Amino acid sequence: MRTISIALAVARKDMTSEWRTRELVPALAQFVVLALVIANFAFQIDSRNAAAIAPGVLWMALVFAGLVAFGRAFAAEREQASLEAMLLTPAAPAAIFAGKALAAALLLAICEAVLLPTLALFFGVRLSFDVVSAVLLATVGMAVLGCLFAAMVARVRARELLLPVLTLPLWIPFIVVGGQAVQAAMGGSVTGQATGLLLDLDILFVVLTSLAARFVLDD
Amino acid sequence: MSALIGTALTQRYGSEVALDDVDIAIDGGEHLAVLGENGAGKTTLLRILATASRPTSGSLEIFGLDAMLERRRLRARIGFVAHAPGLYPALSAAENLEFFCTLQGVPRARAVEVLDLVGLADAGRRPTAKLSRGAQQRLAIGRAVLHDPRLLVLDEPDASLDSDGADLLARVMRGRTAVIATHDHALANRLCQRTLVLRRGHVVGVPTRLRVVH
Repeated sequence: MRTISIALAVARKDMTSEWRTRELVPALAQFVVLALVIANFAFQIDSRNAAAIAPGVLWMALVFAGLVAFGRAFAAEREQASLEAMLLTPAAPAAIFAGKALAAALLLAICEAVLLPTLALFFGVRLSFDVVSAVLLATVGMAVLGCLFAAMVARVRARELLLPVLTLPLWIPFIVVGGQAVQAAMGGSVTGQATGLLLDLDILFVVLTSLAARFVLDD
Repeated sequence: MSALIGTALTQRYGSEVALDDVDIAIDGGEHLAVLGENGAGKTTLLRILATASRPTSGSLEIFGLDAMLERRRLRARIGFVAHAPGLYPALSAAENLEFFCTLQGVPRARAVEVLDLVGLADAGRRPTAKLSRGAQQRLAIGRAVLHDPRLLVLDEPDASLDSDGADLLARVMRGRTAVIATHDHALANRLCQRTLVLRRGHVVGVPTRLRVVH
C-alpha cells in the first residue's frame, strides 16, 4: 500500500512539474508531428501502401520521442540533486522507480494522443481500438526499460549517447510485436495474439525492472 | 553512550584518497563540528555518515545498527542537508515538503509545522524557484527534520543563510545528535561541543572539546 502511495506521489510530482514548466510535452509533440511531416514527404504514399508504411513511421517516431522522454526522467533529478534527497528517505527504490516510469509513460501517452490522430490524417489510415491498445501496451514496457537505463546512465557524461545504445536492443521485441499488431489492425485483421504477447512482455519487464531498480538507484 | 562510531573510514576515488583511516565517535545528543579547508574531506565524511555514499573501507555503526547493511532503516532516523538544496523548483515550498512527507511516511500536516519552524510560513505557496537562495536553504533544512530524525548531518548549512541562520540551526539541532561541516569557527563554537579538523583526508590532532551547549 505504501509502495503504491509513494509511486503515485512521485508520478504526481513529475506530472505537476511538467504541467507548470511545459518543458517536455510541447517539444515532444512538435517533434512527432515534424517526424510525420518528413515521412509524408519522404515516402510516395498512396491508398495502396499507406497501411504498410504507417506502422513503421509510427514506431520510428515513438522510439525517438520515448528516448527523449525517458532520458529526461532521471537527468532532471540528477541536475537538481533531488534524486539523492528522495533516495535518502526510507522509501523503497522500486516505488520511486515505479513512479518515475509511470510519469514518463503518461507523458509519452500524451504525445501519442497527438501522434496517432496526426498519423491518421497524413497517411489516411484507420485508427481503431486495437491500434491504440497496441501502442499503449508497448508504451508500458518501453517506459520501464527506458527509465531503468535512464537511471543507470544519468550520472554519466555521455548519457545521451549511451541511453539509445543500451535501450534500443531491448525495445526491439516491442517494436516487432507492436509493429505487427498495428499493421494487422490497420489492415483490418485480428490482433489478439500480438496484443497478448505485448501484455506478456509488459509483465516480464515490469517485474524484471522493479527487481533491478534497487541495484540501479541505491548505490 | 555513542550514537555513532566510525572506524578506519577510508574513501578512494581511483588513485585519489579523499578520506584516509578516519575514526569518529559521537555521543547521543552531542553536536560535532567538522572543520577544514576546501578539499579536506568534510563532504566525503558527511556523505558517509548520512549513508549517502559507502566508504571504500572501514566500518560505521549508527544507533547500534551497521550503516552498510541497515541503510534504509537508518535513513528514517537521519536527516541530511547536502551542498545543493535538491528541491523541485516548479513545486511550492509546501508541496516540496508534502511530497517528502509521503516518502518519509509522516502526515502531510507536518509540512505546515516545519515551514513555521524554518521561518517560511508566509512563503509556503510560493514556487521554490522564486525563493531566494537563503530561503531555499531553509527549506532544505526543514526537509531534513521533517521526520524528526535523531541524527542530523549538515554539510555547510550556513552557506546562503542570513544573520538569523545560526538561531535556526540551533533550533533544529536541539535535542538531536548532530554533525555539522562548516568554515565558520564562531558558528562551530556556538553550536557544537566538539570539533574535528580534517586536512587532506586525515584527522588533524585530537578532536577538541569546546563548551557544553545548553
